[in-house]
Amino acid sequence: MKALLFCEYKKTRRRWLFPAALLLVAAKLFWALRGHYDAFALKNGWMMLLYQLPMINTIFLPLLAMLVSSRLSDLEHKGAMFKQLAAVCDKGKLYDAKLLYGLGLTGLCMMIDLAVTIGFGYASGFAGGAPVGLYLIYVVFTAVPTLTVYCFQYMLAMCFQNQAVTFLTGIIGTFAGLFSIFLPSVWLRRLLPFGHYGALQFVGLFGWTKVERYANATLEIMTVDWGFCLVSAAVAAALYVLGRYLFVKKEW
Amino acid sequence: MKEIVRTEGLTKRYGEVCSVNRLDMCVSEGRVYGFLGPNGAGKSTTLKMLLNLVTPTAGEIELFGQRMSARSRRSILQNIGSLIESPSYYGHLTARENLEILQTLLSVPKANIGEVLRIVRLDGQEKKRVAAYSLGMKQRLGLASALLSFPKLLILDEPTNGLDPAGIQEMRELICSLPKAYGMTVIVSSHLLSEIDQMAEDIGIIANGRMMYQGPLNRLHETDKTKSLEEIFLDLTGKEMSL
Repeated sequence: MKALLFCEYKKTRRRWLFPAALLLVAAKLFWALRGHYDAFALKNGWMMLLYQLPMINTIFLPLLAMLVSSRLSDLEHKGAMFKQLAAVCDKGKLYDAKLLYGLGLTGLCMMIDLAVTIGFGYASGFAGGAPVGLYLIYVVFTAVPTLTVYCFQYMLAMCFQNQAVTFLTGIIGTFAGLFSIFLPSVWLRRLLPFGHYGALQFVGLFGWTKVERYANATLEIMTVDWGFCLVSAAVAAALYVLGRYLFVKKEW
Repeated sequence: MKEIVRTEGLTKRYGEVCSVNRLDMCVSEGRVYGFLGPNGAGKSTTLKMLLNLVTPTAGEIELFGQRMSARSRRSILQNIGSLIESPSYYGHLTARENLEILQTLLSVPKANIGEVLRIVRLDGQEKKRVAAYSLGMKQRLGLASALLSFPKLLILDEPTNGLDPAGIQEMRELICSLPKAYGMTVIVSSHLLSEIDQMAEDIGIIANGRMMYQGPLNRLHETDKTKSLEEIFLDLTGKEMSL
């Protein structure tokens, strides 16, 4: 496995994969953190981020998963290398190594994203310190849906030679996931892996009106749905098993 | 002579289509075995089954005296080098970098890279990105990667595809020299009769998934002295062969 992971690193040299992923993270950070911070925003900055970030993550993290998984798979499809690799190593281990490497890259990007976000909060003078416990929940509730979406995108990227399938699914899924957040029914959010970010949102904005705006608004913790987080993790595991099975069964 | 490859009743079906039909193949150690057949005869499918890239519908494969199974697959494949359907490799990497990836996976000495690049005469081009290689150079790189572990068995599927006449001649000489120089057994497939005629000692002729003839090439020459080799092939395959 170590050798396979090292090979994945070697293969991505000069492919600009990590810089491209960082560019996407930079775009997300720009979108999430730009704007004027008034007294309400500064007072409730940490909670405001926990309220807003799941929606922004619904747009950007599936795109990040799509970018990383499809680029990693495409270099094998393009060079017709799976035949060559399958003749010298175990197909299942190859699937695992590529998955781990891609998840590692995605995870690294997410850590940078979080570090910059928290750094920004302190630099902007958000009231109090970052609520560590809530941010740890946020990390888990962001990482698990990303894992689920990644496993789904990765399965498509590895099994279909044409990466347009992965791109189209990623884009349609992202829109559907975003759309599901604005629907009153929670089921579409839960049904689509892309909607899991919204389904696991645990901070809500209450008392906001068009006229008074934030005058009487409060940001409060809603249900912390560990049960659904486990469901999302189980979906990720199922997608991993299915993807690995299809890849190993595939004849080259 | 010791048999290094043996298949019994090897069959591959894709739905209603029988791509390989009860094929019995025998390859002796240290020989160049030419696997000849028209396009679509089932050559590549057979070779892929030997490499466990395609799962047989029925039949058995025995390599180096071991029956191919999920358990024995790894140890068997370690002794095989292959070039199947001309991969184009990682175009953004150099030839050396491409070979380094396979060298890491095969756990063979790094020195082998320089050696195989020298054998296929790519040693002057090793720092060039593979995307800039010609088709012929990619074929040579393919052969280099197949040779990387200096395997006991080399499986080459149409290795001269895309080569110019000089390249074909060079490849032929190289393939013919491998059994003597490195003790390898070579299976080389082609749809070109002239190519196999100049390279192989033993021959297997496949048509419509069935083995039509198998044995020493010179015996085939002697089967019917009134007919040319081309005519014998036509009789066996019932199809027009590329000469």
